Amino acid sequence: MNLYLFQALNGIGLGMIYFLISVGLTIIFGLLNFVNFAHGAFYLLGAYLSYTAVVVTGNYWVALIIAPIMIALIAWVCERTLIKRVYHLPHTYQILVTLGVALIIQELCVSIWGPIGKHISPPDSLKGVFQLGDFFYPQYRLFVIGFAAVVAILVWLLLDKTKFGALVRAGSEDAETVSLLGTHTHRLFSITFALGVGLAGLAGVLAAPIRGIHPFVGPEILGIAFVVVVIGGMGSFTGALVGGLLVGLVQSLMTTIWPQGASLMIYGAMAFVILLRPYGLFGRA
Amino acid sequence: MTNKYIKCTALAISVASLSGATLAQDDAVTIYGVKSMSGAFASYGKYADMGSKLAVDQYGELLGEKPNYKVIDTEGNAGKALRKVQEAISQKDAKFFDGGTLSSTSLAIGKEVNKSGGVFITPAGADELTGVDCNASTFRWSVPTYGAIRETVIPLFKEHPEKKRWYTITPQYVFGEALLSNAETVFEELGIEHVGNSYHSLQEQEFSGYLTNAMASQPDVLLILNFGAQSSNTLRQAINFGLKNQMTILVTWSSGLEQFQELSASVTEDVYFGAQYWHTVDTPLNNQLVKDVKDVYGITPNYPLAADYISTKILLDAIAQAGTTDPTAVANALEGKSYEGPTGTETVRAADHQVLKNYYLLKGKAASKMNDSDDYADIVSYGKSFPDESSLECSGI
Repeated sequence: MNLYLFQALNGIGLGMIYFLISVGLTIIFGLLNFVNFAHGAFYLLGAYLSYTAVVVTGNYWVALIIAPIMIALIAWVCERTLIKRVYHLPHTYQILVTLGVALIIQELCVSIWGPIGKHISPPDSLKGVFQLGDFFYPQYRLFVIGFAAVVAILVWLLLDKTKFGALVRAGSEDAETVSLLGTHTHRLFSITFALGVGLAGLAGVLAAPIRGIHPFVGPEILGIAFVVVVIGGMGSFTGALVGGLLVGLVQSLMTTIWPQGASLMIYGAMAFVILLRPYGLFGRA
Repeated sequence: MTNKYIKCTALAISVASLSGATLAQDDAVTIYGVKSMSGAFASYGKYADMGSKLAVDQYGELLGEKPNYKVIDTEGNAGKALRKVQEAISQKDAKFFDGGTLSSTSLAIGKEVNKSGGVFITPAGADELTGVDCNASTFRWSVPTYGAIRETVIPLFKEHPEKKRWYTITPQYVFGEALLSNAETVFEELGIEHVGNSYHSLQEQEFSGYLTNAMASQPDVLLILNFGAQSSNTLRQAINFGLKNQMTILVTWSSGLEQFQELSASVTEDVYFGAQYWHTVDTPLNNQLVKDVKDVYGITPNYPLAADYISTKILLDAIAQAGTTDPTAVANALEGKSYEGPTGTETVRAADHQVLKNYYLLKGKAASKMNDSDDYADIVSYGKSFPDESSLECSGI
């Protein structure tokens, strides 16, 4: 099979991982108009919690369930005690506060799990490779792609087809009116924040067997998430999906065309999209 | 009145004795450990600090006083490291330094220490330290890229002469280029076909695209020339892609035990690694070091710990041998010095201040064959490979 076709297939897989990493960030920005610079740190914490869950239970599937829920709970507490106080402030204050949260989480991870990175093996049932002609692709990555697709559908259904989604969207437009209509908007925002951050934790768990767990990976993940969100359009769910796939495809294809510039071209793609559409592919002015 | 007089006298005596103690303390030799205690390379700095501290703590009296040790946190940033070293030199008259994890940090510190006329020993990887940027103050303990390639590629090829097609993955900056260039020289010498190379940036953590390139070239051996977290991620993803069943994998510049601990035996099994140090090396100093580190810290020594332990120890030994804290005399004592190190007999080459020591080729063991929790690998071969003195690029000494 043609090498470029291999890379395109690999790029789609990579793009779904990038979508998972960035979808939580875009939900929080789109619905709460809140810039969460601690997104990468929550991803990191999710990965570390999954490591502990695997060590304690010996079962990856348990970690996949427990760790994101724990991250969502931590995020909920964080939102009730700290984040809700800066919703009304300009984005610069939100960045400062969440950057502080990110540093605290990072140093806590170093204190608890040590400075040396950790590794989680994929579950035994997904350890092999899927072979298509000359092309090999890890079964675990295929699982992550499928899982990300299911998550994408569920999140879309939740936000677009349920009363909860309608209330959150209405609340983000005019919180006061929604509140006057009898909805507890603060609770709504807490749940949305916990959901967005929980998705970051889920991405951390799913990516751990592929990218390992290092205490200083948070800023790198945050960078990827922002690139995807900016390309797709800040706050757009569809944009996160398309942006993730675009970034994955560009990076994978460039590793064959211009390997040393593969990482750089992610940012090149972002600049190109901004030039053509300043608010991203699916963003609104 | 008498009571007040006695109190004042006692206070004066106390102050005087404290000042005396401080003065005596100031006369003691102080080693400044330049370590990345925080930031992205904190995992390295923590163990390097343990090594230097142990060497100083174990040392008896040096020039009539117990030596001191102070750590300078580089924060994994060459600029910050340089500023802190400058402060130590100007405000505390610091003369003796060791450590420096990153090549960029060590190169900057080496130049600064040389300017002030001190002595600096580092285990950093950049060949320039004992090459084009060598100077009278800087010494390097670790084997350069030349030796790392020759002591891994050649023995692996001797073990598997049928594996003639090699693919390389290289970080595109000076260190990666040096490894690649040395590898290409060895390929030519051995008649190995270099079927392809993928460059990547220093920020890269996603290697699936490069591994796809490698698979398409169908090599017999995948030679990984990056290091640290990048080599761990390359290897982890290569195992995910099932490459271990399709080809032999060699990580030329591993970070030793800590990398095995991070990846676990499920990843490292049957993979070849190059290493500056391994804790099972059977030499008198290493056996003692392993015992001491287990007694003091309760762990097995890894590369940063061993490297900074021996760097600090030979610096202290050189000061004792010189009988003075004059840096020029100490540097002279280090030049040509032979001593028993963790890798056996090690020698500081006077011409470029490079320590001539062994480099190891390791092969990862299966978890079921490990005798203890740190018994991750067998030593396949080891040896010393260094460029001839006639071909050295160093002219600053």
